[in-house]
Amino acid sequence: MLGQIFQLIKKDFTIDFRQGFALTSVFLFAVTTVFMCYKIFGDLQGQAWNAVFWIIFLFAALNAILRSFVQESGGRELYYFSLLNPIAVLLSKIIYNTLFLFVLGTLTFLVMALFTGNSVREIPLFFMTLSLGSMGLSIAFTFVTAIGSKSNNNATLIAILAFPISLGIMLLLIKLSADALGLINDTSLQTDVIMLLAINAVLLGLSIILFPLLWKN
Amino acid sequence: MKQNWYKILAVILMIYIIIAGMLIPIGPGIVGVSHGNSSSIVAGESITLKVNGYNAHYTSGENKAFLAVKVKDDDSRYTIAANNIQVIDDQQMEVTFTIPSTSPFNETKEAGLFIDNELDGFAILPSAVFINPIGKIQDGAKWQRDQALNLHARPGLRFPFRNILIETIRNTHYHVSIWMAMFILLTTAAVYSLLAALKEDPIYDFRASSITSIAFIFGLMGLATGSLWAKYTWGAFWTNDIKLNMTALSMMIYAAYFILRSSIPDEEKRAKVSGIYNVFAFVAMIPLLFVIPRLQDSLHPGNGGNPAFGGEDLDNTLRMVFYPAIIAWTLLGFWIANLYYRFKKLNYKYLFESV
Repeated sequence: MLGQIFQLIKKDFTIDFRQGFALTSVFLFAVTTVFMCYKIFGDLQGQAWNAVFWIIFLFAALNAILRSFVQESGGRELYYFSLLNPIAVLLSKIIYNTLFLFVLGTLTFLVMALFTGNSVREIPLFFMTLSLGSMGLSIAFTFVTAIGSKSNNNATLIAILAFPISLGIMLLLIKLSADALGLINDTSLQTDVIMLLAINAVLLGLSIILFPLLWKN
Repeated sequence: MKQNWYKILAVILMIYIIIAGMLIPIGPGIVGVSHGNSSSIVAGESITLKVNGYNAHYTSGENKAFLAVKVKDDDSRYTIAANNIQVIDDQQMEVTFTIPSTSPFNETKEAGLFIDNELDGFAILPSAVFINPIGKIQDGAKWQRDQALNLHARPGLRFPFRNILIETIRNTHYHVSIWMAMFILLTTAAVYSLLAALKEDPIYDFRASSITSIAFIFGLMGLATGSLWAKYTWGAFWTNDIKLNMTALSMMIYAAYFILRSSIPDEEKRAKVSGIYNVFAFVAMIPLLFVIPRLQDSLHPGNGGNPAFGGEDLDNTLRMVFYPAIIAWTLLGFWIANLYYRFKKLNYKYLFESV
């Protein structure tokens, strides 16, 4: 199964690099949005920095993950079904999307740092938050995309399904990142991190249990 | 008749909670005191407090009044009795205290007011006044320590008096019970959804979706009753309370469930996909409603880590109506859901016969 996961990640990576537009469109989305926010706000600091970063990250993440199941055509899905373990398919998507979102978040952070100066005081805490967030959003969005791809008008529907489910994670992320920015002094930092990990673990476990049901169609 | 027992039980319990919940009076209590200039008194002086009671009978029966100060965190109390009590009417009286010039404590302490009445039993107003001993710490012989106050027992069937809540405490039978019933309904719906996803049978899906619809309506009713309650106790229909926001989020998750259902025309596919989403939504809701609110401050009772049903907020009289109310709302929910389910099933069958 590990071999299957590795091969699938490699396949996704190869496809994304071969069709350069998929990657560049998401990154371009992030960069232009950052630039636009920078022009609107003039100077991005503190609370506004936090809000802008996470909103850009959320929408870019949704755009990026939307591709993961929608791009698979009917024939290719049938081919996977006869060949692969469904859990391997799901885990490969989740891992690939996690890495993708982490790179996307880092890039957004760098572009924002370039335009507005670095407002993050505790870099390690911020990147830990970003990696936990990438993981959480990737798990939630990947599963929701799998559900949404079974319906007719999927792009709109996936957004409707994905936002409420990801909001719980987002609230914790914003709190942790506000701490990293020095906006608040979080006394329950450890609890928040553990809770974020716990939510990620529960969603991951649930996806692994439910995805095989969704897969056999 | 055998299948209808729960409907009969629901109606009987519903009538019971409406009648008992509305007619049982609130126990006697103290709404507040008005003091002349300031709520702080200096040791050695005297103060006259005008006490506003609620459901009290000050004119009948003998009244006693005490000020009680907790000196340490343990339960030892120092008390001082009123030297003059003047009853104005049933709900109002004036009590005068003379604070001894020597005190058993050396910093400003809050004192609770105890009013004891033969008929009503005792009532407490916490932090009624603040006593400033101006640094004179002595043994405080005039204060009486851990004295048996000989308080009268409260009369039998009364809902507890809570200072800000007063009559709105009756909303417990609606707001809280409807939430409880909603959780029970949603849990059942999640089980049916799992069955629908496993067996791809639209019949289970009809069960799950009809129960979820009713649970969603119960959720809206819970929000509406809670909103009204908040207006009369906290002063606004919506506050930035963590529980309210998490609830709004859960409602959005379930609203997305109905949108998902409406976007899949094929019944069997819909049974599977929406069943899977329902289970996912149910599990995603649990941390939002049960874990995150406990970790943050909330205006709701039981904030900061405690469950909401502490001994102080829910007494036995309230339980006598509150527990049947949960059962009644749950049964009523299942009854409506059953009707909706049968409607959906008939619709489905009719669709096949007409083809």
